[in-house]
Amino acid sequence: MSEKTPENRTDMDRREFLTTTAAVGGAMVLGFWMPPSAHAANVPVAPTPWYREATVPEINAWITIAPDDTVTIRVGQTELGTGVFTANPMMIAEELQCDWKKVRAEYASANRDAREKAPEWTLKVPGNGETDPAGAAPVELANANGVYRRMIIHSSGNVRESRYYLQLAGAEARERLLLAAATEWGVPVSELVAKDSVITHAKSKRRTTYGAIAAKAARTPLPDPSKIKIKTPDKYTLLGTEQKSLDTPLKVSGEAVYGIDIRLPGMLYAAAKACAVWGGDVKSYDFDRIRNMPGVHSVVRLPFDASTKGVGFLCGGVAVVADSWWRAKTALDALPIEWNYGSGAGVNSASLYDLHLATAKQPGEAKTNDGNVDEAMARAAKVVEAVYSVPFSPRARMEPGNATVLVTDNRVDIWSGDQDPQGLLRKTAKLTGIAPENVYIHSTFQGGGYGSNGNGPQGEQAVAIANALRGRPVKMLWTREEDWGTGTRYRPMSVCLMKAGLDAQGWPLAMEVRHATTWNLGDMGYRGLSAPPYFIPNYRLTIHAPKTHVPIGTRRGTGAAPNGFYMESFIDELANIAGKDPYMYRRELILRNPDEPKRGIGGFVHRDDFVRALDMVAKMSGWGTPLPEGWARGIAIDDRRRPTRTTSTICAQVHTVEVTKRGQLTLHRVDVVFEQGFALMNPLSVRKQIEGQIAWGYDDTMYQATTIEDGHAVERSFDKFPVSRMNEYPKQINIQFMKTNRWITGAGEEAIPQIPPAILSAVFKITGKRFRSIPLKNHDLSWG
Amino acid sequence: MPFTLLVNGVQYSVDAEPETPLLWALRDSIGLTGTKYGCGIGQCGACTVLMDGAAVRSCFMQASRAVGRKITTIEGLSSDGSHPVQLAWKEFDVPQCGYCQSGQILTAVALLEKKPKPSDADIDAQMTNACRCGTYHRIRQAIHRAAALRG
Repeated sequence: MSEKTPENRTDMDRREFLTTTAAVGGAMVLGFWMPPSAHAANVPVAPTPWYREATVPEINAWITIAPDDTVTIRVGQTELGTGVFTANPMMIAEELQCDWKKVRAEYASANRDAREKAPEWTLKVPGNGETDPAGAAPVELANANGVYRRMIIHSSGNVRESRYYLQLAGAEARERLLLAAATEWGVPVSELVAKDSVITHAKSKRRTTYGAIAAKAARTPLPDPSKIKIKTPDKYTLLGTEQKSLDTPLKVSGEAVYGIDIRLPGMLYAAAKACAVWGGDVKSYDFDRIRNMPGVHSVVRLPFDASTKGVGFLCGGVAVVADSWWRAKTALDALPIEWNYGSGAGVNSASLYDLHLATAKQPGEAKTNDGNVDEAMARAAKVVEAVYSVPFSPRARMEPGNATVLVTDNRVDIWSGDQDPQGLLRKTAKLTGIAPENVYIHSTFQGGGYGSNGNGPQGEQAVAIANALRGRPVKMLWTREEDWGTGTRYRPMSVCLMKAGLDAQGWPLAMEVRHATTWNLGDMGYRGLSAPPYFIPNYRLTIHAPKTHVPIGTRRGTGAAPNGFYMESFIDELANIAGKDPYMYRRELILRNPDEPKRGIGGFVHRDDFVRALDMVAKMSGWGTPLPEGWARGIAIDDRRRPTRTTSTICAQVHTVEVTKRGQLTLHRVDVVFEQGFALMNPLSVRKQIEGQIAWGYDDTMYQATTIEDGHAVERSFDKFPVSRMNEYPKQINIQFMKTNRWITGAGEEAIPQIPPAILSAVFKITGKRFRSIPLKNHDLSWG
Repeated sequence: MPFTLLVNGVQYSVDAEPETPLLWALRDSIGLTGTKYGCGIGQCGACTVLMDGAAVRSCFMQASRAVGRKITTIEGLSSDGSHPVQLAWKEFDVPQCGYCQSGQILTAVALLEKKPKPSDADIDAQMTNACRCGTYHRIRQAIHRAAALRG
């Protein structure tokens, strides 16, 4: 046993840091730049860009190859648990034809992205959209022309948006390695074969390795890179195979570096508190009361004005800065603060629900209006009406918001896990007045994300604090309560009025959907509702927009989650009223669609694949076979199709549920059919995503809600906002992938919308009770 | 007044108020950042460490109460990721975001010390750490595998 002083990871220069991380972490390096001298404040500007390793040849912006054949692949998106640190290198390595065992991942630089444009020849998307195996269907690249293209990670878009340009990057590097070898040997490049990082020329029995030829390849441009064709899925050898995450070894040893783990020489710590009522601000605070508490350095006011609103602040606040975070937080708790709560202070969940309900009854904006709903409703044999709703809910990630920032007069360095590093870079430039080219984002792992702009202004607040303390690095960390209760943006409350007119056999003649939601981001309020997969000859959707002060953002499942819950649960109600099996009722209504339907915004075009998915999941789950008393199965399907886009991902699920007579619910088994399209990049990662979404959707169904009281969030930590644990997770999960002839939307959130309606369908079968709002913790499930 | 903590077999001198939670002594004073902050009220389990072999939530315990006790953090479980629980976690590729996994792993280690061949019911009872990514399915399989690896 030895006496040891506390370790300080940053007492080493960058090379040492990388070496150490690589040695302990196995096949991965994190691309952190660390200030090379002992005191960070003195070394804001590195002489050369941090991403240039003079000794390791860079083939292109995505790939370096070391003499020992180690291939380092840069990843633009932040790894927050969705597998980008593995899937993205796989997409490049597939084309590069390198040895996967020698691949490591590091973060790409948002700073370099701000300085350097993507090569012109990579901007054109190859092929003919999502139905072409040689094509791709990105939709968010219009303004993503920096060298690292789309670095934001959201909307299940990583593979959909990035695949083609990552494949191109791998292919370009491969062709340059081949050309370099061919030039060296004086043979035609067409006679060379590249496999597992080895280049061979059969005729002359010559061979070289990527590591040996890399330096030459780095100086060998291709005469016409625009001729490169990406591989179609039938040629894949690595993509489509199950690969374990490259970051797993770091995450089981405690060595994975998250934003919260950054430690810099001379670093101060900040604890921040913003006004609990969004839109409010600080009236006054009394620094003298805490000035002499241990370790206290200063208080920084976080104003709520044009400059901070423009970068995403939700309200004003203060931060206490100290020499340790615990001391900063302790002093912040003791700091007397008076608040101006503003106009939101009188609002509560009940008044908001009433507002939504009233707004839904007012005229709205028609998004779909097919046939003549009023005429058909008037001649219906039976009219069914129901009111559905969901509450506000945060993403509730595990790692509280944080960022470590050093601002000097001509440079900003930020260490953080953020779903939108490019956005953080731009906003930092605005806040500090320092040019974007001089803002450096050093991405870290992120302890969950679940919705890009739901991260709240973690980085921006930290920048504002560090900007007030120029020359000193500061780590700003929110408490759990601050993160869930003040810093986040919410999946909004919504109220949906469903009305159907049925014929004498119980089939719908007409349906009217009136959806009141503050979700005004794109099509959040109507995706999944604008063109249902069910044939309803007369269909009208209107959306209604109440105004609230509660900040609204994306949340895993997006608008498809509440909207899918409404449509699927209401269809379940109609099946029951018609006296038909909910699986067969859906099947019939889907089959009634014409061959090439074009109804509603976006239309419904996947009739036969929907039916196939339903049939597969029914068979998997033993649909129709006997279950014990108090057990039942519920079914649901959704494809998270967006009205303004053509891609989709079909997912059908059956949930096998038990409810005791006293009302105790157990989810025993979940069967999932998930569309794989032409190919999944890493099916293991997709399985993990689906398994996780089961827990996510279950928590939404059972527990999760943010109550608004006097304008603020009531549930601010795990004590009032339950997250289910091991004992509630279903003991049996079955997942089958369904091949189709198109590229899918993605896999990060496509298995969520089905969960509440499937569980609630089973609950209805068991208890006879129809619940039209979640979470179920608010309802009495007892029966018999 | 500095006090001394025995962490992963090493004596560390900690200069902090004695009521500072053990979590922050570990993370900010000693520099062992594998132990995570999740809630500060002992609910989520991200801060779990072993104290004399038992799983405790370090965010909710004053550092001074750990003086003279044997603390093990994720960094002290093995030098090379070769502890049976770590091996099983890698075999089933358990982590997603990974933030809660240090706590999950240490809770599983404590479980296996008490119950070398745990049943599903034992796992349900002991594994009370929250995982927002929902990795429970793989954690369960990995615990059974770790039990087998321990022999």
